[in-house]
Amino acid sequence: MSTLTKILIILLTVSSIFLCGVVVTYVGNADNYRQKYNSIRNERDSLDKKVDALTKQINKNISEKQQVEDKLNEKIASLKAKTAELESKLEDAEREKAILLQKVDSWTSITRDFYETNDKQGQLLKNTLAELNKVQAEQIKQKKELDETTTALVEKMAIIETLESKTKRLLEEKSELQSRLDKMLRPFGKATAETAPVTPPIDTVRPAATETKGIGLQGLVTEVDLKNSLAGISLGAADGVKEGMRFHVSRGDEFLCDILIIDVDSKKSVGVLELVQQNPQIGDNVATNL
Amino acid sequence: MSPEGQKRIGKALAFNNLYTVILALAFGVVLATAALVAYKCYFQYGTIFKIPQ
Repeated sequence: MSTLTKILIILLTVSSIFLCGVVVTYVGNADNYRQKYNSIRNERDSLDKKVDALTKQINKNISEKQQVEDKLNEKIASLKAKTAELESKLEDAEREKAILLQKVDSWTSITRDFYETNDKQGQLLKNTLAELNKVQAEQIKQKKELDETTTALVEKMAIIETLESKTKRLLEEKSELQSRLDKMLRPFGKATAETAPVTPPIDTVRPAATETKGIGLQGLVTEVDLKNSLAGISLGAADGVKEGMRFHVSRGDEFLCDILIIDVDSKKSVGVLELVQQNPQIGDNVATNL
Repeated sequence: MSPEGQKRIGKALAFNNLYTVILALAFGVVLATAALVAYKCYFQYGTIFKIPQ
């Protein structure tokens, strides 16, 4: 065996061992791709199952969300309807509030006027009370004067009674003297004549007779309100009509009723129906004298 | 001609067992490596010569 062959054998052996070592090292350190593939595939399958489960869950959640959305939409619609109703109620309430505020303003002004009127009435009452006090003072004074006058009158009445008794006694004495004188003159065929008193007799005071005359107003019935027993006539203050006057209503020769005037205008008057025999009509005659 | 050449004509005999052992060792190492690679290929990919799909 030559040396070259020996060297080649050695080199072949060394290189074989080296290469085999490299190969063994590589193969030993190589990854098990099948195992990795299987594990990845299993992992993928599990992930697919998870994806399916999650997809189902998502679908379920979507359906639940749709249901909840539908319910919420219904609630939103009902709440919108309620909102519209409440807005309409709010508008009504604001309108009523404005009306009530106007009423409050009017009542405030009325109350203010009432207070002013009340103050005026209070002032008038004070003035009236002052006048009443004055009148009462004058009344007391006049009562004193009346008492004094009554006392004087009683004294005068007593004097008058005394004078009347004296007059009566004088008349009795006069009649007795007259009878004596007649007895004394009768034998001589004479008698006493009637003597006229020197003082003229005092007559009592009589009220003067008042002369009356008819007013003589004539007109027509212009309005009739039988429900309230009121009637209007064509005569007014310009014709001389005054409150409290009484007019007689007649139709031809027939008496219908009386009208007591309660309100007088310039050219017409209104009165209350009294002594109604028949209901008056527009055009019936009215007059102050029948 | 050397006596070694004369021996080659007849029955081949190893005249030095040391180099034969070395060659056997190299052959065994290569064979073991091939067996290891085949074992790995078969148990990892399920085949020895095909390309796994």
